[in-house]
Amino acid sequence: MSHPEDLLADYVDGTLDERERAAVDAHLLGCARCGAEVRQAEAARAVLSEFEDVPVPFGVTGPVLAEAGRRFERRPGVVWGRFQWAAGLAAAAALVVVVALNVGGEDARNAAAPERTTAVAGGTGAAGGAEAAIPGAIPFTGLERQTDVNYDEAGIRAVANDAAGAVLAAEDARGTQTAFAGAVQGSKERTDLARDCVDRSGVRGPNDVLIRLIEARFEGTPAFIGVFSEGPGAGQAPDHIVVFVVATEDCRILSTASQRIPPG
Amino acid sequence: MPDPPARDEDLVRRYLSGDRAAFAALVERHERRVYNLALRMTGREEDARDAAQDAFLTVLRKLSSFRGEAAFTTWLHRVTVNACYDLLRKRQRAPLLERGDDDLPALEPPPAPDHADTSSLSMDVQRALLQVPEDFRAVMILHDVHDLRQEEVASIVGVPIGTVKSRLHRGRIALARAMGIEQQERVLEDPKGPPVAGGPPGAAPGDPRSGERADAAGSSDGTVSP
Repeated sequence: MSHPEDLLADYVDGTLDERERAAVDAHLLGCARCGAEVRQAEAARAVLSEFEDVPVPFGVTGPVLAEAGRRFERRPGVVWGRFQWAAGLAAAAALVVVVALNVGGEDARNAAAPERTTAVAGGTGAAGGAEAAIPGAIPFTGLERQTDVNYDEAGIRAVANDAAGAVLAAEDARGTQTAFAGAVQGSKERTDLARDCVDRSGVRGPNDVLIRLIEARFEGTPAFIGVFSEGPGAGQAPDHIVVFVVATEDCRILSTASQRIPPG
Repeated sequence: MPDPPARDEDLVRRYLSGDRAAFAALVERHERRVYNLALRMTGREEDARDAAQDAFLTVLRKLSSFRGEAAFTTWLHRVTVNACYDLLRKRQRAPLLERGDDDLPALEPPPAPDHADTSSLSMDVQRALLQVPEDFRAVMILHDVHDLRQEEVASIVGVPIGTVKSRLHRGRIALARAMGIEQQERVLEDPKGPPVAGGPPGAAPGDPRSGERADAAGSSDGTVSP
């Protein structure tokens, strides 16, 4: 007896034409083996068709988008010029870049560190004192609330460019603490929530240091914007800025940008 | 009236032309499909995460060589399935059905799925799915879960359509058996039973591919001998 194995998948799918189906039906009348197979295959197909998609967990695509940003930035001809820089400053109109404090060198640095750790309780990453010892380190001072600012892709690139410039400035201004600070600061609870949301996206690398956190909108969607300096570690200056935009509602990644920091 | 969404191939072109947001749009559009395909293939959230990331990173690396001969989704599925194969190989999870047909009742329990889809039916099906050989599992997931046409599945896994039909049928039977849906009757003329994962009667035990018929499409002329 020859079994119509070539046709049984389509028979179960219901895609055979009338003649083929009739031929298989005729075969099944006299073949218990094929009949049993068809029943098993129909049962399996039915349970598979009931599988439902599960939501993608946080952090699956974050590293991919981060890598895409790095690759994009390394492409020949991709240079952020003065235009983007100016656009960034305009987009972040509510931002105050504080070239903070001081003039007093070591004393001021030491004085700033405890204040920072107090302000950002529960923070992760390098401690304040260690950050200050790294050339180009910028301490994180808290959540900047810019809820009336609506960023777009160019604006996010400008934020990255802006941060790269700030790191360079910090490298140059030895003895001077450079930090970002918003005109309106978020509460500690809001800051912790924003940090957690950005961290949950899974994008943060082992040597990434959060230097800036903004609450604003991105193309109309309420968002947290995390700005990280990224470097080789071991006390060396950061060589990249990576920016991640996540939705405040569910922490999904909305956009990314990165910017290389040229060697000082 | 809003503009229709950009085609995948247009997003690829835009990314290659310098629009970095286009790649993020591609990822956002397809992440759910890629992740769920990987989840069904591997059965573990951690593995699905790794496989999905590997797949997207491969796409990113090779995007510039994407010529558009195949649809982007076909290519993406192929890359994802290959990422799953690679990961499963690394994990050295030998499919438990690569053994003789009659050994089926003695199957050891496979690794328990651990993802968020925790309904008992889904867990049972996923557990059984992990016992089906990978090549068969991929075809079933693409066709029966993701509703891709057999022709597209053939293109994704790189086999003739006859092989897809064969793997589909045998994979379904293997899944049913792994779920305990037993064959009700066996005919006396064929005491070995149907060729499930172990291949047809006379095939070398342990080779799930030995039952495939790559030329099945060519012989599907409707002639059946009852």
